Amino acid sequence: MTPSPAPESPSEPALVAAYRAGDERAASELVRRHASAIGRFLFSSGAPASEIEDLVQETLFRAFRGLDRWRAEASFRSWLFTIAGNLLRDSYRRRKGRRVVTLEDRDIPDPADPHGELAAGELEERVRLELGRLPRLQREVFLLRAQEGAAYEEIATALGTTPGAARVHYHHAVKRLKELAR
Amino acid sequence: MTGCVRLSDRIPEVALGRSSWTAEEETHLRGCADCRAEWALVRAAAALGTRAPIIPEPIAMAAAIQRRLARDRADRRQQRRAWSLAGLAAAAALAFAVWTGRPERSTGVTARDLPAATATQALVPLPELESLEPAELDSLLRMMEAPLVGSSTLDAPTLGELENSELEQVLASWEG
Repeated sequence: MTPSPAPESPSEPALVAAYRAGDERAASELVRRHASAIGRFLFSSGAPASEIEDLVQETLFRAFRGLDRWRAEASFRSWLFTIAGNLLRDSYRRRKGRRVVTLEDRDIPDPADPHGELAAGELEERVRLELGRLPRLQREVFLLRAQEGAAYEEIATALGTTPGAARVHYHHAVKRLKELAR
Repeated sequence: MTGCVRLSDRIPEVALGRSSWTAEEETHLRGCADCRAEWALVRAAAALGTRAPIIPEPIAMAAAIQRRLARDRADRRQQRRAWSLAGLAAAAALAFAVWTGRPERSTGVTARDLPAATATQALVPLPELESLEPAELDSLLRMMEAPLVGSSTLDAPTLGELENSELEQVLASWEG
C-alpha cells in the first residue's frame, strides 16, 4: 500500500489570507508556529521570564490587529520580531530606562567555588544581559541571525534597512559581545 | 581574513544544526581565536533561546487573542459611532447657531429693510387698529404705504432716527 502524501502545511501568506477571510483556525496555526520563537527572542533580548507569556500575547495581538502592514517580502516571523522589539522598547520606556534583565538565583556566583570556570548557563546569561544593552538594531539583527538563521536580505526587509547595513550591525554586535566572552 | 568573513556567515546555520563544518572550515576554526569566540557566542545565543519559558498552550493563547481582537473591534466601532454622533451634534449646534443668529443680525433693522406691512406689524403694534372698519383700515394702510413703498425709500428716515415729537406725530397720524 502506497502511503498517501502528507498534506503540505499552508504557507504563511496563505494562512494570513485565510485568517483575513475569517478562518480563525489560521490564526491558531500562526500562533502555534511563532509563539515560542517570539518568546525566545524576547527572553534573549532581556525581557523577564515572568513577563514572556504576556509579551508574546501582546505581540501577536498587535500583529493580528495590524496585519495589513505585513509585506510578504519579509518572513512573518521576522515581522513579528520587529513588533516584539517595539513592544520591548515601549516596556523599557515605561520602566523609565531601567533594564529588565534580572539576576536569578543560578546567576549568583557560588562562594564555595569563586575560581570556578563560567558555567555555560552563566555565559548565556551574560550574553543575555549584554544583548539587552546593545542598540536595538544590533540586537535584533544579531538575534535574527543567531536564533533564526535569517539571511541578511530577509533581516534587511524586516527591519527596513539594507543587507549591507544589517551585516554591519551584526558585526558590531558580535564585536561587543566578544569582548565580554573573552 | 576572507576565511573569517565566510566562516562568520556560516556560523548561525551550523550553530542551529542546519549544516555542519567542512574540513576546511574546521581547520580555520581551530587556528582562529576570533572565529572561535564568535562561534562560542552564537552558540550561547542560540542556546539562550532554549532557556526561554515555554508558551504552555498556543491554542488557548490564540483564542485569548481572538477574544481581545473582537473586543478591540467592538471598541473601535463604538468609538467611531461616538465620533459620528459628536460630529452630528457639532453640525447641529452650528446650524442652530446660524439659524438663531439671523434675528440677532436684524436687531438694528429699519423700516426700509422690511416690506412695509411687515415693518408695520413689527414696529407699530397697535391693538386699536383691530377696531377699525375695513374701509378705514384700507385708507390708513394706503397712507402708511405712501412714504415707505410708494416713493424711493433711499432718503426715508428710519423710525429710530425720528425725534420724539416727530415720532408722536407719525403715531398720531396712524391712529387717526
